[in-house]
Amino acid sequence: MPAKSCLFTGLVALLALAGCRRSPQPSLDVIAKNVEKLSLDPEDRAWRHASEHVAALLPQDVVDPRLLKPSTAFVRVRALADRNQVAFRLEWQDSSRDDLAAPGRFPDACAVQLPATASPEPPNPQMGEPGRPVQITFWRADWQSWTDGRKDDIRELYPNAAVDHYPFAAPSLPKASPAQKELLRLYAPAEAAGNRRSGPRASPVEDLVAEGPGTLAPAPKTVSHGKGIFTNGAWQVVIARPLEPALNPGSRTVVAFAVWQGSQLEAGARKMRTGWIPLRLEPRR
Amino acid sequence: MARVYNWQIAREMSYWYPESRPKRQFAAVFDVNKCIACQTCTLACKTTWTSGRGQEYMLWNNVETKPYGFYPLAWDVKLLAMLNGQRWKGARYEGATIFESAPAAERVLGWRPTAADYAYPNVGEDDCAGEINRGAAMTLPHASWFFYLARICNHCTYPACLAACPRGAVYKRPEDGIVLVDQSRCRGYQECVKACPYKKVFFNPMSGVSEKCIACYPKLEQGLQPQCFVNCIGKIRLAGWISTPDKARPENPVDYLVHVRKVALPLFPQFGLEPNVYYIPPVHVPLRFLEQMFGPGAADAVRVYRAAAEDADLSGLLCLFGSTEALLARWRRHGAAVSGYDESGRELVRVPLSEPILVRAAYDERRRIARTNCP
Repeated sequence: MPAKSCLFTGLVALLALAGCRRSPQPSLDVIAKNVEKLSLDPEDRAWRHASEHVAALLPQDVVDPRLLKPSTAFVRVRALADRNQVAFRLEWQDSSRDDLAAPGRFPDACAVQLPATASPEPPNPQMGEPGRPVQITFWRADWQSWTDGRKDDIRELYPNAAVDHYPFAAPSLPKASPAQKELLRLYAPAEAAGNRRSGPRASPVEDLVAEGPGTLAPAPKTVSHGKGIFTNGAWQVVIARPLEPALNPGSRTVVAFAVWQGSQLEAGARKMRTGWIPLRLEPRR
Repeated sequence: MARVYNWQIAREMSYWYPESRPKRQFAAVFDVNKCIACQTCTLACKTTWTSGRGQEYMLWNNVETKPYGFYPLAWDVKLLAMLNGQRWKGARYEGATIFESAPAAERVLGWRPTAADYAYPNVGEDDCAGEINRGAAMTLPHASWFFYLARICNHCTYPACLAACPRGAVYKRPEDGIVLVDQSRCRGYQECVKACPYKKVFFNPMSGVSEKCIACYPKLEQGLQPQCFVNCIGKIRLAGWISTPDKARPENPVDYLVHVRKVALPLFPQFGLEPNVYYIPPVHVPLRFLEQMFGPGAADAVRVYRAAAEDADLSGLLCLFGSTEALLARWRRHGAAVSGYDESGRELVRVPLSEPILVRAAYDERRRIARTNCP
């Protein structure tokens, strides 16, 4: 081995060792370490002090449509908690950043799932079961881009899109007038039904509840927060949920994760997911 | 999978849900022979329903030239290739439907269009079949042919979009059989887009939710035909209600054309969806092509239609196409006129079988001037 290369290898090994010394040992459970104040920033230094759980992902192969071809092998999970919230930092390798939904195109996404109520026996990890709901916080890459300020225009998707005419953009209609708003609503049925899945939003996450596959529904209100960044071929996403009676310092419960790779046409039931993983919230001193 | 009966393939088949027919089923008859591909239907639909953001590419109604026109690209031939040949034995389909040939882990056999597949809505317009460079144009009858295929959602009895949605966000209205995407429930997984063999569900990238033809149900609820029907200048379309063959009523215009005279046929019945838009096939197209597209009834349908000029009832009913905006529940010919009625038997329209002919002499004696055909 040439001397230069030896030196390089040694340097890498040293750095790796140094890294190991900084990070706690990988853990079998997900352990939420206490901090004074949570940060939604996936690159915040506090995350380095939380132990890492490497969760193996399995294709969703229980209900049709199933995912037959595995994609993301594992997701690295760290957890922190402060007095108000518990946060999970998910990191997974993704060869392409997909943050647009279009015909035949899907955004990257991830989700954190918890049982809705404390129980010695958790519900079915596949979206819960009738009468035994789960609560899910879902993050989507395109929602992140809109939260970060992407323009709500078809040209963000197709830069050369030619638009002849939108009825609500007629010059005779004063902007933001009731007539203009009504026309806008007429041609946006999902929005009129309160179900806009794309476009500008204040948060990249959505809180949901489910009682089995196919029953996913929005929670009465989204109280969780999140933030995702894409660097060096990997997504790092922080999802923070408020603490609650079943989820407070010192408690033990379970948590599950799911990851969707847009480039693999993964959406909905076509996903990589974990089973329940023990979750421990460190007691507050 | 449940077992359901599909009369278009004359057998039971597998479907994701048990058989549940609506109280009545919206249906349509399109006379392909009269379509000139002016796209007035397309524009009527576009301006009524899909002028919004994210709907730029959407054509709930489109007219494509067959054999080389497609929207989206190759929608039908791709699926036909995936089905890998079909076998009919008389009126019975012996091959596998798209439900019966669903691959492992899927509910339906389908393919997923990309944005590029929607980029050429008028590809193949007026392109002929036949090899003209080998002299096809010199033979009689012409070996070269094309025809226009107007398409909307088929509001199928066994919709593939509905079967494929893992959330149950697609539903079939029990009162009229119209298939809709629940805009409050859809989460944009695009399973319906992949599953619909006719590719008549569209994903809206600006709302993140899928959308489709709604058969202008607000109009139907008022007893009126949809926009693409009443704006058709070729008067090729008739909307109405279809019965199952065992309950066919000859006084119902759609039943008469589909069940009694069997002159109007479903589009790709072998897919197994029991689609409810029925086509009077083009009479000049090779039978093999028509049978692939409209099933084994094509030869008889062409024969009956060719004889329509000698058939006062059939030609009379064809005169009701495009004669009124109202939905016609019944029809009756009386002598040289034909009438359309509503449910209660009230006459809504009366049309003569032939218009009076006025011959204008080439020379105007009174004004002492030659008439010309100039407008």
